[in-house]
Amino acid sequence: MRRWLLHRTAQATVTLAIALLLIFFLMRLAPGDPLARLSEDRPLTPAQIEALRARFGLDRPVGAQFVSFVGGLAHGDLGTSIQYGRPVTALVSERIPATLLLGGTVLLLNFTVGVWLGVRQAVRRGGAADTTLTLLSLSAYATPSFWLGLVLAWLVGVKWHLLPAAGMEDPLLDPGAGWVAHAADVGRHLVLPALTLSIVSIAGTMRYQRSAMLEVLRLPYIVTAEAKGLPTRAVIWQHAWRNAFFPVLTLFGLWLPLLVTGSVFVESVFAWPGLGSLAVGAVGYRDYPLLMGTSLLAAAVVVTASLVSDLAYACLDPRVRFS
Amino acid sequence: MAGVVAANSAAAAHAQSPDPRSTVVIVTGGEVTMPIPTLMEGPAANVANSEIADHLFLRLANLGPELITSGDRSFVPQLAKAWTRRDSVTLAFDLDERAQWQDGVPVTAQDVLFTLERARNPAIAPRLAELLRNVVSVTAENDRRVVFRFSHPYGEQLYDAVWHVAPLPAHLLDGIPPAQLRQSSFVGNPVGDGPYRWVRSVPGQFIELAANERFFLGRPGISRVVVRTASDPDARMNLILSRGADAMDNIPPPLSNLKRMGEDTEIRLIPVPSPTLGFLLFNQRDPVDTSRPHPVLTDRDVRRAIILSLDRTLLVRAVYGSYGEVPYGPTSAILWIRHGTPKPAGLDRAQARRLLSSRGWKDSDGDGVLDRDGMPLRLNLNYPSSSGARQQMALLAQQQLRQVGIDVVLRQFEFPLWSEHRNAGQFDIDFSATSQDPSPSGLTQGWSCGGGTNAAHYCNPTVDSLIERAIGSSDRAREAWHAALRQIEDDAPAAFLYAPSYVYAVHRRFGNVTIRPESSWLLLWKWTTGAPAARRDAGY
Amino acid sequence: MTVLLEPLRHAWRTPRGRAGALVLLVIATVVIFSPPFLPDPLAQPDPIGGASLAPSITHPFGTDQLSRDVLSRVAVGGRVSLVVAVIAVGLSLTLGALVGLVAGYWGGVVDAALMRVVDAALAVPRLFLLLLVLAMSERVPVWALVLLIGATGWFGTSRIVRAEVLRLREESYVRASEALGASPRRVIFRHLLPNTLGPLLVAATLGVGDVILLEAGLSFLGLGIQPPAPSWGGMILDAREVLVTAPWAGLFPGVAIVLTVLSANLIGDAVRDAVDPRGA
Repeated sequence: MRRWLLHRTAQATVTLAIALLLIFFLMRLAPGDPLARLSEDRPLTPAQIEALRARFGLDRPVGAQFVSFVGGLAHGDLGTSIQYGRPVTALVSERIPATLLLGGTVLLLNFTVGVWLGVRQAVRRGGAADTTLTLLSLSAYATPSFWLGLVLAWLVGVKWHLLPAAGMEDPLLDPGAGWVAHAADVGRHLVLPALTLSIVSIAGTMRYQRSAMLEVLRLPYIVTAEAKGLPTRAVIWQHAWRNAFFPVLTLFGLWLPLLVTGSVFVESVFAWPGLGSLAVGAVGYRDYPLLMGTSLLAAAVVVTASLVSDLAYACLDPRVRFS
Repeated sequence: MAGVVAANSAAAAHAQSPDPRSTVVIVTGGEVTMPIPTLMEGPAANVANSEIADHLFLRLANLGPELITSGDRSFVPQLAKAWTRRDSVTLAFDLDERAQWQDGVPVTAQDVLFTLERARNPAIAPRLAELLRNVVSVTAENDRRVVFRFSHPYGEQLYDAVWHVAPLPAHLLDGIPPAQLRQSSFVGNPVGDGPYRWVRSVPGQFIELAANERFFLGRPGISRVVVRTASDPDARMNLILSRGADAMDNIPPPLSNLKRMGEDTEIRLIPVPSPTLGFLLFNQRDPVDTSRPHPVLTDRDVRRAIILSLDRTLLVRAVYGSYGEVPYGPTSAILWIRHGTPKPAGLDRAQARRLLSSRGWKDSDGDGVLDRDGMPLRLNLNYPSSSGARQQMALLAQQQLRQVGIDVVLRQFEFPLWSEHRNAGQFDIDFSATSQDPSPSGLTQGWSCGGGTNAAHYCNPTVDSLIERAIGSSDRAREAWHAALRQIEDDAPAAFLYAPSYVYAVHRRFGNVTIRPESSWLLLWKWTTGAPAARRDAGY
Repeated sequence: MTVLLEPLRHAWRTPRGRAGALVLLVIATVVIFSPPFLPDPLAQPDPIGGASLAPSITHPFGTDQLSRDVLSRVAVGGRVSLVVAVIAVGLSLTLGALVGLVAGYWGGVVDAALMRVVDAALAVPRLFLLLLVLAMSERVPVWALVLLIGATGWFGTSRIVRAEVLRLREESYVRASEALGASPRRVIFRHLLPNTLGPLLVAATLGVGDVILLEAGLSFLGLGIQPPAPSWGGMILDAREVLVTAPWAGLFPGVAIVLTVLSANLIGDAVRDAVDPRGA
């Protein structure tokens, strides 16, 4: 097992390195120029553009740029953002808490409520609840997240005035107020964006869980267990579900990067200061350093999540073996 | 998160708790990251930064209400209480003795010298250096008098001296080498001489300013200013409607947004001339090989015909309602030279067809599209997908041109790609939009032979000399500019489509509200507050 | 061939399968046959006075911001959206299933290699790849777009399928089959694939909705369906700015997407029930 883990980690590291290389070069091969955006407000002369190009190191060959990127990476320096003029590490770390908060809440809701609902649907298959939930979940999944977000923001935030319509903190809250007040403030702002993202993604979790559960519930040994007189709850959760959570576990691994990529649409509709909108802004500006920073983070989480998933399979189902 | 905030939170924030009644929360689309005049290079030279910088740092003088940039008379004293013209190339400014930095040190001529020296250095501030290229020297005669010398006589000397950069505190920045200024603590905690001082910044969310009680031009009526960031216009509107914010700049198209905001009776809609100008630029070179002339659009009659086939009034009304105009020549609503220009040509399909026909464009195969020598009159129209207004207008224009037999193929691109195509000359018609400075001398960028943004390679030496003459003239400048505009309209290098007004939304409890076109919140310190906003959601 | 038709015939017998097929039939009929009877989806009769009109007799689905008839745009837009969605999802599913099955069954080096490729692919933002395509060719035809979406959408599915296979290949009946000398191909297609149909069908259902919206996002970049041609995803994106003031502009294409997803789900459920060797 330990040997396998060692091998697997080495693989993950190599994969990450290759992914970074790919991202770096793809980014620069894509058409568009970081300095193009500057001409939007105030047109620049060619001389000015050349000066700026030199300042951001864009006039050197791509290979040299990559080398200096890696060099900087070794020191924990991800360069300076073209768009903001500030170190990338500072920009990214400022936005991480907000992204983790939103992503974490959504993942938590998903893999508790979503799993539970999916299991319930499978157990009471064909009933009124199952059909309704199927309809609701499919409609929710097919709804664009920004739509749902806009409707919630307008209804709950504007029309009914129950929760803040956008932002993460109330700027008028006294900075000296205790941490309880601050936490409550952020909590109030968190509800709508988290709800929006959760509704859309829970639908997916429910479908996968329900489908997997249905398979397992038909198995002979489950039927036998019920005939033996074990209470249904034990049968469902301790016997059936143990075989039905693999797809959901995989899903969890696939969605873990959400913790650091954020959701662009939801962040923009609710002005949530997360990494998603930072990354998208970076794409629109072709802000290479910032883009590399956010992509590096996301890639690292993707590769790690894959590793953790595999580890989880092996640990949670003893029959699974990797050669 | 809270830790970062605490680090920025000056002790002063606690020293005097601002009166909650006189707080204004503004919500904007851009984030305020670097509101320091000489540091706003590259992407940092955006509207958000410059507008907040105007709260912190005073200029020598401001533009007058008519936004006239030419001559010496129409400016409003700020740091400089008066100025004298010594000869055709020399201006002397007398600084107001009462002016002081927010740490108590008086503003002196040294500050002006220091700032202008940095601003005129192309290695430090390339953009500013270019704008200040006509300034030969800046000297101090004593603590309070600064003398500017220019390279030659021209109308906008005063404008160049006062507008482009506001003086920075030499006593705080002198010792810091220019290259390290960005990393200095001054950036995180700027000290200015304007009506507001910096309190704190919560990155990605908002910044807070507090009134400078000792502001020498008068005590600000608003004691606290918060500027929130929300890049999405819907988010901004929702914040206003839910009273999470009191003021916002520009309610963008479509018109339904204006209607929605207008229905809220506590919100006042304030139209303000905007610096935006939208136009369809006709490429004079062949997009396939830019060394050759364009096979279709080098013909002036074809360009004129396209313009006559467009119902530009309808285009503007459909997208901007009554808050926009069809411009004459490349003049946005902010340019003072637009007053007194003739009316732009209207829709005239019959004349358009006649012109096209006279140039050999007929519909010989009956497919509804004109052709000549077997080639159909088909033109690509590029626009960036980021602009909803341009997309809407492009669709409308496409239908209008179809009626005359011109086949327009729409091509939408992500912004950097669209920009790349434009700069490389790879377009037939480019749907361009610029944001103009108050000075009409910016027209050289787009409409003179060697202009930096003249992507269509439009070149008429007559226009160049007319523009030069207008820039040089001090009196009768408006007439000179109109001559240039008339020549441009005659050449028809572009179809000038829209010069809109921005519609701001401000809560009614604020009185004496003036929004300045050249810098929205410049006069915010003169606003007054009445009763507090009815916060229906007392919970937050 | 019979292997494919049998389950479909079974599916038709169940009420769910019939309902799903019916909905799909209605959508297909409207999309294929109604446009000649409807107004021109590109026509803008009155952009000032006729914009954003509520549903009425003349415009059963109302008009959009440019006074275009929403019903005809939904009908015509459906052609493109449905074709793109079905083909792209089909491609993604096939690739995902294949890779997942092979990786899960063979294990070892094969599994490691394939899954590391998937990891790298997941780590690189799809956007960069798409922008690169734009760099290489100005205009991207619809079929290329479909291939592109399909070829970049299978990574997650392969992981899910592989996870199932890892679990299933230890099952007794699989072991028994192998012991009896069954070829890998037989084991995979006869035993493993049918049991992975569950997640595959969920992926298919959800994928259809995903692809339609993805296509709209792509046109923002300059790929995909270009205006003024309608597509369901494009209409939803365009309707965003009038969501509150003129909800019908986005509601009807949205409902169309939901109905498509629903019918795909119903049919898929029925097919899976039919294929399942252990019965309902």
